Amino acid sequence: MSEPNSDRPQEISPAGPQQVGEEQTHFGFKTVEKARKASMVADVFHSVAGKYDLMNDLLSMGVHRLWKRFTIDCSGVRPGQRVLDLAGGTGDLAAKFSRLVGPTGQVVLADINEAMLKVGRDKLRDKGILVNMDYVQANAESLPFPDNHFDLITIAFGLRNVTDKEKALASMFRVLKPGGRLLVLEFSKPQIELLSKAYDLYSFHVLPKIGQLVVGDGESYQYLAESIRMHPDQETLKTMMSEAGFEQITYHNMTGGIVALHRGFKF
Amino acid sequence: MPAPQLMVSALELALNKLLHLDPLSGHRLQPLAGKRLRIQVRELPWPLTFAFSDQVDLLLDEDTEVDCSMSLSLSTLKDMQDVSQIGQLIQQQRLSLHGDMHTAQSFSNLLKELDIDWEEQLSCYVGDVLAHQTLQFFRSARIDTRQRLERLRQMLSDGALQEKKLAAHPLALEDFSEQVSQLRGDAARFEARLTQLEQIKAGK
Ligand SMILES: C[S@@+](CC[C@H](N)C(=O)[O-])C[C@H]1O[C@@H](n2cnc3c(N)ncnc32)[C@H](O)[C@@H]1O
Repeated sequence: MSEPNSDRPQEISPAGPQQVGEEQTHFGFKTVEKARKASMVADVFHSVAGKYDLMNDLLSMGVHRLWKRFTIDCSGVRPGQRVLDLAGGTGDLAAKFSRLVGPTGQVVLADINEAMLKVGRDKLRDKGILVNMDYVQANAESLPFPDNHFDLITIAFGLRNVTDKEKALASMFRVLKPGGRLLVLEFSKPQIELLSKAYDLYSFHVLPKIGQLVVGDGESYQYLAESIRMHPDQETLKTMMSEAGFEQITYHNMTGGIVALHRGFKF
Repeated sequence: MPAPQLMVSALELALNKLLHLDPLSGHRLQPLAGKRLRIQVRELPWPLTFAFSDQVDLLLDEDTEVDCSMSLSLSTLKDMQDVSQIGQLIQQQRLSLHGDMHTAQSFSNLLKELDIDWEEQLSCYVGDVLAHQTLQFFRSARIDTRQRLERLRQMLSDGALQEKKLAAHPLALEDFSEQVSQLRGDAARFEARLTQLEQIKAGK
């Protein structure tokens, strides 16, 4: 495993986000060359893959399971359908989808990161989930699937990490069948000032410390906090989805907007 | 959110644990595999959708097609455990049923051996109007000032207090049970792994 933060750039603006040029993108609050973001994101997940599930439970106090459950409730998935769980990581959503589409359906767990994919694969195999699961290492920006292929695409806590989100949304649109739907579950903008403040306090001060304590990697969780703050808010993401071609886009705030679920259709 | 999801997650966990304990449940699940059943319990604000495979997944969705849908009251759920009662329950108008009768019968058969206390599982959520309101997802609503205040109150209690307190119990339980079932290292899992290894070996 690589040293998690070895090639991170120096922090440019500790106070917050800043303007970026054409060839640059955000990595948390840091501005980096676009070409390097993917490998730096990979480092983050590489360094946390083994304890990823544990950390999820700790950091969200278990609530992430309910956010994911809600996502599945909104998926409308049926037996026989083909589902892509993109940036699927350790396969929380994929496991349930596998049972819901049944042996006549198919679930593809795709992630850019080999280590996360491997943890996911081992976990699902241990659960006895085999028949309708495929594992694909892929970048959301250029999905290696045919046009009009999936009935449902989910991306949970993944879009935030993608360098070129517009490109990723366009790629998802391409591989989705007409009539199919996209669900984006992602951290968003808390709708109440007070909650927003409390949440900032938590994510910038508590979260990296837990990360340091449990995984011995505070910086990865510092990245997490920063990347959450940099992620487009509810309305911005809705507009981005619309620009990628999705229709009937709605979103639902959970836990006061800390997390939002966006849903859009391809027609 | 997420009180309804919490209830469903606790119920799903309880059901599957009971199914796991019963060595013959796999047999009784078989005719249901791939089927969907929606039950509107009259006391609950949202219908429960049962999706069957080698276990039961519970969904809170109202839109997808199901093989069979039923509406009944909490007390009638218990009587569903006896297949021979179904006809009578319908006649007495205690149960309304649409769709595939076989699915209903197989479900009843599945419940027969399970000693599940529905009232205990569900009653603390019954009449949980607040939860119901929060479930009005994706329904655009005109928000007047009163509703705005109500929503604010709701979000605060949802986000800051209620969720964490409620969340601890069933989720901790879920974690614990996951650990237990992992330790148990039951034959099915082992077999699945073995099959996989054999497949890999055969494929090479
Ligand atoms: C926070 S995890 C979420 C995992 C899982 N969906 C969940 O909800 O638990 C984010 C995942 O996104 C993956 N990822 C980051 N950039 C990606 C990209 N460009 N394409 C595909 N996956 C990516 C990471 O490897 C990581 O596994």
